[in-house]
Amino acid sequence: MSKRFHVVSRLAVRNLRRNLRRSVLTSLAMIIGGTLLMMSLPLGDGTHEAWIESAVRMGGGHVTIQSPEFRSSRKIDDRLPADVRVASRTALSRAGIAERVLIATPQLTLGGLASSAAGARPAQIVGVDPASEARFTILDEKVTEGRYLEPEDRLAAYVGAGLVESLELKVGSRFVVTTQDAEGEIAGQLLRVVGVFRSGVPEIDESLIHIPLETAGEWLHSGDDVTNIAILVRQSGQVEGLRRDLGRELAGPIEVGAATVMGWREAMPALDAAVRIDDFGNYLFQGILFTIIGLGIVNTVLMSVLHRYREFGVLQALGLTPSQTGTLVLIEGLILTALSGVVGIALGLFITFYFWGDGLDISGMWDEEWSFSGVVMEPVIVPYFRVARVIQALAFMFAIGVLASLYPAYRATRIDVAEAMKFER
Amino acid sequence: MTEEDVPAVRTGEVWKVFEQEAEEVKAVQGVSIKIERGEFTALAGPSGSGKTTLLNLIGGLTRPTRGRVWVAGHDLTEMSNIQLARLRLEQVGFVFQAYNLLPVLTAMENAEFPLLLQGVEDAERHERVKELFERTGLSGLEDRRPGKLSGGQQQRVAVVRAVVARPALVLADEPTANLDSRSSEALLDMMLELNRELGTTFVFATHDARVMERSRRLVSLVDGSIVADESRES
Ligand SMILES: Nc1ncnc2c1ncn2[C@@H]1O[C@H](COP(=O)(O)OP(=O)(O)O)[C@@H](O)[C@H]1O
Ligand SMILES: [Mg+2]
Repeated sequence: MSKRFHVVSRLAVRNLRRNLRRSVLTSLAMIIGGTLLMMSLPLGDGTHEAWIESAVRMGGGHVTIQSPEFRSSRKIDDRLPADVRVASRTALSRAGIAERVLIATPQLTLGGLASSAAGARPAQIVGVDPASEARFTILDEKVTEGRYLEPEDRLAAYVGAGLVESLELKVGSRFVVTTQDAEGEIAGQLLRVVGVFRSGVPEIDESLIHIPLETAGEWLHSGDDVTNIAILVRQSGQVEGLRRDLGRELAGPIEVGAATVMGWREAMPALDAAVRIDDFGNYLFQGILFTIIGLGIVNTVLMSVLHRYREFGVLQALGLTPSQTGTLVLIEGLILTALSGVVGIALGLFITFYFWGDGLDISGMWDEEWSFSGVVMEPVIVPYFRVARVIQALAFMFAIGVLASLYPAYRATRIDVAEAMKFER
Repeated sequence: MTEEDVPAVRTGEVWKVFEQEAEEVKAVQGVSIKIERGEFTALAGPSGSGKTTLLNLIGGLTRPTRGRVWVAGHDLTEMSNIQLARLRLEQVGFVFQAYNLLPVLTAMENAEFPLLLQGVEDAERHERVKELFERTGLSGLEDRRPGKLSGGQQQRVAVVRAVVARPALVLADEPTANLDSRSSEALLDMMLELNRELGTTFVFATHDARVMERSRRLVSLVDGSIVADESRES
């Protein structure tokens, strides 16, 4: 059997060589398709990585531990109980989890009001540990004036540029923040602006304020309590696994409703949807592209079958079964498609990572900075490599090859030898 | 060896009726014939008399409407398509009027193809083909593609391919029809020699007088029926 398969494969290769130009042109379509696929997938994934990275680093992390009610209430009443904090710290330092965690930082996130002589604005106030938050957030890099919070800071605030403008503040100015404290009383606090940032996301720039956690604890009588622990993982692909593992570690508190572990998809549904829609758009484009390529291949392979009726007749007269004849066509089709697909994928990977490995600058494509769902569009796309994508692309190419060759192969199995060998004179 | 006792071919009241636009074409009408091993038989008859159809029935390329066909004792009418393919591979060699060879293979590769399919070892395969090439004057043409061979040479390669696996019989449908008279004679000589020396059974369909003349048995068909069956010593 394998011997016969060998004979059939050799015949297939010879047939492709005989029609070299046709074979090369068909292959070229698949190679270009594969190359485009392997350029667009990593660039798409890289774009999404950047979106996710920027969003989670300006907010609650890839994974966040908080109390279930906090998500909608955003109130200090729904902060994490002390024992859950302890349990979280233990879980995060456990072997098997710690390796995946890049950094975990405590946050006390509250809605409140910021006011100055110029007026009052709703604000999102986040009490942070300046040392670990500086490693977590990217907001410290977005500083336009002054500096980010430092560990010795007290009564200091790092404020979004939009809010600074509407309250007519500058570095060194004082302003007041007001919110409900741990005892349920409204409490105000005087703060001094030490730094101003512009993230590019209007919602953030117009409302976000970072203050030292210690200042927040004294102001709100909440000690060193926090509302959530924000966690960054090393690779975004680890989010689901980490969320699950942390969920298992914190099964006790989760069961009694004292804690929940959320991934960014759950915490930021708009971003999740944006990623999915963008992916869908890419898939749709690739689907159309490969449908066109696939039809071209069906056409070439089918034409070659119809042209070689007599040859197939001879083969079957010689003792090839109909299915072996079909296999011959299938192998020809698969060499044309799958093999070229593999070449295309390799080429795509090479181009993407050799030339654009450090980032593809697309800033020329738009003038103004723009943002959505709490994400700033980066002008440089860094392609993101995932083995799963390569396997996915390989499987896709293989499927196209099989699909495109299946009908011609079927036609080859249906040849009537007596008819094929007929001589009309 | 009981295999030697059974005839190469036997048909029992075999019919082939084609349905064509509500009209029935009776291509073969109740033919019963027995062909022993080692025979050199010509099926003669005017165009449309059913020669090709009868050969196709014998070679298992066409299924009979009625009746039975045995090749080397195997009843073809009870075989699946896969079994028929296997029977062709092992028991039947075909030579058609033209375009017998696979254009992408060399003369040698074409000739050894049945052995390749049967899984015969390289050395034996080459030896057998080489021997037949020498015997049939094809030596030196081993590496040529069919496109670089004359019509006569192509038909010789086709004959070598048909006999190389030592089948129970070789079916040749007008093998000389596309050849000039010299090539026809040469091809006929070659087949006669193979028949004599290897004992290969040949059955031809032909309306070439030369082929009829030199065959040892002449079966005449008219309208799908046998009208004469003469044996003679040449
Ligand atoms: N596939 C077919 N469909 C319909 N009629 C056919 C078919 N094959 C052969 N015939 C008819 O059967 C008859 C015998 O044909 P054939 O066996 O080719 O004759 P020969 O080989 O002696 O010229 C002819 O009338 C031919 O038209
Ligand atoms: Mg005929």
